Amino acid sequence: MTEFDAYWQAVDAELAEVPASPVLTPVPARSTVDFTAYDVRLTSIGPYRIFGYLSVPTGGGPFPAVLETPRYGSVNQPPHYRDRLRYLTFTVMHRGQRLADEPFQAAYPGLATLGIEDPLSFVYRGIVADCLRGAEFLLNRPEADPARVAVTGDDLALLTAARRPRFTAVRSSGPPEVEPEIADHLRLHPDQAERIRHTRSFFDPDRHAGSITANVLRVGRDHQLTHRDAVDDAALDSWLAGQLGVAPMSKFDLVPR
Amino acid sequence: MTATNTARDPANAMITVPTPPDFTEFWARTLDSLPDPIPTLAHLPSLSTDTVAVFDLRYTSYQDVEVAAWYAVPRAEGRVFPGLVTIPGYISEPDVPRRWAELGYATISVAPRGKLRSNAVVNPGYPGLLTHHIVDHHTYGYRGFYADVIRALDVLAARPEVDAQRIGVQGSSQGGGLGIISAALRPDLVRCFAAGAPYLCGIWEATKLTHSYPYEEITEYLRAHPGHAEAIQRSVAYYDGMNFAPLVRCPSYVYLGLADDVCPPETGFAVFRALGGDKVLDTYEGCAHHAGLHWVRAKFEAFLARHLNPEAVA
Repeated sequence: MTEFDAYWQAVDAELAEVPASPVLTPVPARSTVDFTAYDVRLTSIGPYRIFGYLSVPTGGGPFPAVLETPRYGSVNQPPHYRDRLRYLTFTVMHRGQRLADEPFQAAYPGLATLGIEDPLSFVYRGIVADCLRGAEFLLNRPEADPARVAVTGDDLALLTAARRPRFTAVRSSGPPEVEPEIADHLRLHPDQAERIRHTRSFFDPDRHAGSITANVLRVGRDHQLTHRDAVDDAALDSWLAGQLGVAPMSKFDLVPR
Repeated sequence: MTATNTARDPANAMITVPTPPDFTEFWARTLDSLPDPIPTLAHLPSLSTDTVAVFDLRYTSYQDVEVAAWYAVPRAEGRVFPGLVTIPGYISEPDVPRRWAELGYATISVAPRGKLRSNAVVNPGYPGLLTHHIVDHHTYGYRGFYADVIRALDVLAARPEVDAQRIGVQGSSQGGGLGIISAALRPDLVRCFAAGAPYLCGIWEATKLTHSYPYEEITEYLRAHPGHAEAIQRSVAYYDGMNFAPLVRCPSYVYLGLADDVCPPETGFAVFRALGGDKVLDTYEGCAHHAGLHWVRAKFEAFLARHLNPEAVA
């Protein structure tokens, strides 16, 4: 077994030892006649209690489902209204982010290099586990149509799809914007260059690509941005909608009444 | 309930915001109540470079809350620099503003209360800031948040290496809205500002134009508290960029995405029309909340440079 495989199998094994113990709390303010919202708490490795936004469409289901892996930043918003109209949605807050920041509050800048000198201490080992826990939660929801489940996000979406190959589609916005933080860290610790490269190699989505069974759209590879973000959003939304068998929907045209 | 609307005409939409009769007095009282900021600086070698020194800046603001900021200064002995305050978006943490310092600005990138580095005492959370004590304009969470940005201007102007006659403000979304508000509340300090996709303008109307966050926070609040609608409408009028815009006297550069679902362009056009001072508007077809950022960055950098005359330290 390679060091890479052993590393990730150890994460899976550690996660399997930790009961998720989900607690769902209905949130009337975020619910409508079209969907019901819940705040969700789950346990991930550590053990660490993470947070998620769940939204369940009204009706019989099963529904196409989307796991939103967290962005690089302190805050993730609840899933967008248009997505809650079409999908069973679950948005994960990984350890350190708002609503999952007890006892650990992530720093920005800072998170991208926390513990990076060793793959076992790198904070992203736990963050990926948090995403995998979220994947397991969504994939096992009785309302989810197992043939139509997607995962979205940055590189975390690709790693999640690789480690939990039950997804239909994966859409990645590309790597998170952390290179300036890495560069700062290397400027301060030039002696750690090789160790950091080694740690980061475990999280290189290209090394995980062979395990991905879902249909993949990667921004920057399969899709080139126009930088007109409404146009780009429409294209990315349309691709995912096509994968999951629903109609595309524009955020801009969706107005309250 | 929702509807799709493909017949919008943002440039000509009518957005009005009532001006509270005591609007001017309310903000004068707020600013008068600010304590001495007592700024402290700590050099951060880990974030500094050969050309830019970065500091952790702390100062005291409204109701004695300690506010954090990054302060980045060009390394150029004996020079006086134009100043810049940059303000983060709603869900963003402030960037370390090294690039602005390389361009020649002494730059404060402020983390107003509630942001990670300033949430020890006041922490409305995200989501949450937009509706934090929203039913009462005296206690609304943005009162201190606005004051924190104003205090950053005051702290910057007092720095010996800063030319207080050449201070600008830059930001997008929440940073854009606060740019307008800063220029209105500190007309003696703000020489110009660049504001992208300004948030906090036409607040109440925006909730009727979009299902995107942060404005969706108000829609959700009203689901839980439908009886609070009138109180919220009254309260947010004290904080609405539309009511600050006519007080602006300095040059401004505003840019909008014509398909912005976060800050509806109807509100952007309206606040631009209301702005005093020389002003320039650029709009971008097919763009949402990035508001043409791929193209507009060079333009707002040139705008600021034209008015503030920095000298780069590459």
